[in-house]
Amino acid sequence: MKSNSIIKRVLGAVCIPIITFLIIFIICQSRGIALFDSKSHWIIFLRAVASVMLTTFALSINLNSGRFDFSIGAISLLSSVISAQICIKLGLPVVVMLLISIAVGMLLGLISGTIYVITKLPPIIVSLGVTLLYEGIAFAITAGYGVSFVTNYELTSFPSIRNYLLVIVIALALIILIFDYTSFGYKYRSLLSGQKVSINTGIKEIPNALGCYIIAGGLMGVVGVISSTNTGTIQMSLNFGSIGVMFTAFLPMFIGGFVGRFCNEKIGYLIGAITTAFISLAYARLKVDSSVQQIITAVILVCFLIYLNNEKKIFKFKKTKKE
Amino acid sequence: MKKVLSLLLCIALCFTMLVGCGGTTNGDKDSDTKAETQAETQAETQAAETKEADVATEADVETEADNGIDMSETVKIGVLVADVTTAEALAFRSYYTQYIQNQYNVEFVYSDALKDSADEKSAIDTFITNNCKAIISFSSFDRMAQIDQCAKAKVYYAVATGTLTDEEYEKVKTNEYYVGAIGPSLDIEYQTGYDMAKYYLDKGVKNFAIFGGAVPYYTDMHIYRVAGMLAAMADATGADYQGAKGPAIVGKIYETADVKTGSIGDVNILGYVGGYDMDDAWFGKIAEVAQTSGLEMILAVGNGSDFFGTAVNGTDVKIASVDAYADSYGAAMDAGILDYMAGKFSASIGPIFAITYSAALGAPIRDNDGNAVALGQGYWVATSPEQFKEYYSVDNSLDAPAYDKADLDTLIGSDYATLEKFVAAYTFDEIK
Amino acid sequence: MKTNAKKSIMNLAPVFGLIVLVAAFLIVGHMKGINISYGLKSVINQSVVVAVVATGAVFIYTLGSFDISLGASVAVSAILGGMVYIKTGNLLLMFATCIGVAVLVALTNSVLASIFNLPVFVTTIAMLSVLNAMVLLLIGINGTGSEISVPSDAVAHLDNIPFKVAVLALYILACVFIFNFTPIGRKEKFLGGNPLCAQLTGISIKKYSIIAFIISGIGVGLGAFLSIVYAPTLTRSTASSVGMDVIIAIVFGGMPVSGGARSKIYAALIGAFSMTFLSQIMTLFNLNSGIGQIVKAAIFILVVFIAASNHRQKELPR
Repeated sequence: MKSNSIIKRVLGAVCIPIITFLIIFIICQSRGIALFDSKSHWIIFLRAVASVMLTTFALSINLNSGRFDFSIGAISLLSSVISAQICIKLGLPVVVMLLISIAVGMLLGLISGTIYVITKLPPIIVSLGVTLLYEGIAFAITAGYGVSFVTNYELTSFPSIRNYLLVIVIALALIILIFDYTSFGYKYRSLLSGQKVSINTGIKEIPNALGCYIIAGGLMGVVGVISSTNTGTIQMSLNFGSIGVMFTAFLPMFIGGFVGRFCNEKIGYLIGAITTAFISLAYARLKVDSSVQQIITAVILVCFLIYLNNEKKIFKFKKTKKE
Repeated sequence: MKKVLSLLLCIALCFTMLVGCGGTTNGDKDSDTKAETQAETQAETQAAETKEADVATEADVETEADNGIDMSETVKIGVLVADVTTAEALAFRSYYTQYIQNQYNVEFVYSDALKDSADEKSAIDTFITNNCKAIISFSSFDRMAQIDQCAKAKVYYAVATGTLTDEEYEKVKTNEYYVGAIGPSLDIEYQTGYDMAKYYLDKGVKNFAIFGGAVPYYTDMHIYRVAGMLAAMADATGADYQGAKGPAIVGKIYETADVKTGSIGDVNILGYVGGYDMDDAWFGKIAEVAQTSGLEMILAVGNGSDFFGTAVNGTDVKIASVDAYADSYGAAMDAGILDYMAGKFSASIGPIFAITYSAALGAPIRDNDGNAVALGQGYWVATSPEQFKEYYSVDNSLDAPAYDKADLDTLIGSDYATLEKFVAAYTFDEIK
Repeated sequence: MKTNAKKSIMNLAPVFGLIVLVAAFLIVGHMKGINISYGLKSVINQSVVVAVVATGAVFIYTLGSFDISLGASVAVSAILGGMVYIKTGNLLLMFATCIGVAVLVALTNSVLASIFNLPVFVTTIAMLSVLNAMVLLLIGINGTGSEISVPSDAVAHLDNIPFKVAVLALYILACVFIFNFTPIGRKEKFLGGNPLCAQLTGISIKKYSIIAFIISGIGVGLGAFLSIVYAPTLTRSTASSVGMDVIIAIVFGGMPVSGGARSKIYAALIGAFSMTFLSQIMTLFNLNSGIGQIVKAAIFILVVFIAASNHRQKELPR
């Protein structure tokens, strides 16, 4: 009975990426293309997994608590700009860039959170202002040129299977540790399920909210390093140009929500990121046009959400049909 | 009471911020002007950009040209820029705001980033509100509407670093407020792509990939550059591209806004990437193309080394680009990633300023038939790090730019023949 | 009594903000010798599309919902409207198409959410993706490739301030009437303030959500039509900034994002004009793009902070 339940849970957890992979595999095979043909395909895949997973964590930490945050893309942009500039000037290695970027990301998250707790404005409003602010700062400190370090082989050495795997494993372990095994995590979940009751029981909401912003900022600092070391350039964004990053996290977040009933929700986000990374790699391998990509992604999102929100009805309908 | 006070405080704060961050008044210009003219490095250039609103004082600049044109009144010129973050746009901005503005009695008012023709129209309205006498446009969502709007407001309009299509030119050439266009014509864009590909075909390169930039968005200049590349391949092999040869290839690309991979004779197009999606899938496509077995060259219609630079790491693949002279490209050349650079030089927008300013001062320059100016101006091509450095040092200089005041003075209030001769001599050797 | 007066003053902070911005524009403009009358016309031209779309969107915000696809919906409606004009040469058909498509998109959003039990915001995220893809496809299949161009002569006679102000005024008056003087507005505020309680009294959230989206869709359609009138050349990036501008305008105008009883229909109008005046003032100071955006961000947060200062609760808002 117990083993049955484990098998059910494992199958439930991995069914989405496996089905996605099989569909993509069949399409690729029919066109004579191997999805993973070389090492570079694994790098593309793992980079997508790492960056999407981290972005999903960063978005969901606050969104699950009802705090919508447009600024995560701007944090990623500004933290990578600052860390890259410091490392280029001082000739520091990429590991230091990663650490600086995390620290700057956490600081930027703290600033966002502080504005939120001081002004007590709805988080969505604060995040709109903060997005404009961080984009403006990034633009101002690079005089609009952005940062280019294409020829800095030390900093562009980050993309590798080992590094991406390390990022995925460490980030996942840390997030599970923080949110599932610390008092911070317990308080977070308590506030999530009942804000007023939790506060009345003595849980301090402000430090917890600040902590969430700091963690989300740190995660986006890593995303900044992943994307900037991939190309060796950081392009500037203005007028909310940076919010596109946020949209990559919705599908994996919803998949994570579904998979979360079979396993830890954070692992669910990883599975969601793996699924979207398969799709991204397939787009690249099959050279799918960007407009078609957008439609496919939107249709997948809608269909998945329809299923997710009507699962019981669908099963009920199936049952009555059988009877 | 506290809240009312905080309201007042905030209003005061907003105002202080605006005043504090804005340009200094004319009274402070002397010191800033001196400081700016000494700026040499890019860092200094960047730091000085925040002061770009400073306008040269009347004491610094001549109030009368050699040919007697009255230059005593400060002329405001609006500058429309679609993408404010490109190296090209930033280099142009430095030249105008940190060199030209200190030499002439002009003030440049820049637009924010423009996303569509409605933004263009709003920005022009704002320039007109600000009493701009002329507008220089780097934005091309709807050129005809821009010219029409300017003409109605009796504001001079000029196209920088580009030209109108023949059809468009015919419609507006007699419009007295349309000053004209100086920049790479579509023929020059075609030739630029052609020369780039031919350079490598002559070296015996057979395996290419192409970065098409804005080809999927039907951007004319990128389509013409790609067509030039393909035409060079067709000419070199005696074969054709999708049944077309020479300029007819332009039409083939317009049909699909895409480039077909495959062979043109014994030359192979092993990969193609277009657009600027910048998502995981797009960077995946870039890596795919860069890592294609047997690939020798990536011909890019835009900033190739920025997008393909890390992807070609560890391979012998080289990149050829068309863009502007910027620090990052110099580093890419030094590292052997970028092998060929057809770049606009920042002072290339000097002549269009001169004729626009001249028109605003009441001395318009028209061609021999009284029509607006339409002159082609090409790129500086660097094929070695040394050559790049030589070009870049001139291009980046705010002390002695490629076109300095003395050069531009010869154009203000001059005639068409002088202008035509001046613009035609655009190569580095001719200018220096 | 005194507290009530203070509350009313603070509630009107966005209005004061607009007055201050207008005053700053006039004073600084006068000092700099700008063409103020042209500038005021330009402000109306630049604000009207966002004001119309945002006014309709207030109905969605009142429910405590949020539509992120409004800008893309304006783009698709305008492009299809433009295509219809090119085919038929009929301005009325173009207008009807703009309104029809926008209402259809809004209905799809709300009906999908209602039928499939999806959160409205989530539906609008998916819709944003679909509409963006549609823009690319429509521009692509048009044949000219990069743009859809309605002849400027066809709409030139409508590109004037009286027409635009009339459209804006009529739509706003209709919205004010529905919002303040009919059960629709009251029930929407009730639903936004306390959805559970409202539903227990028999108010259908699905029904009022669909109504809110239809009213918003009409605003989007009008916005699309006015976009064509203002700039008849439509490209893949047409109205791409409208979506975020609408959100900023609504918030800047003092609309609470949680909806409910404090929702104000005039917030959109105040916000749209305030943001345009702010941009005009930035231009007067010739700020570079980065610095300008930093100042804009600071002013945005400050104004919204003041506007919301009466309604702080013990817990952090969500």
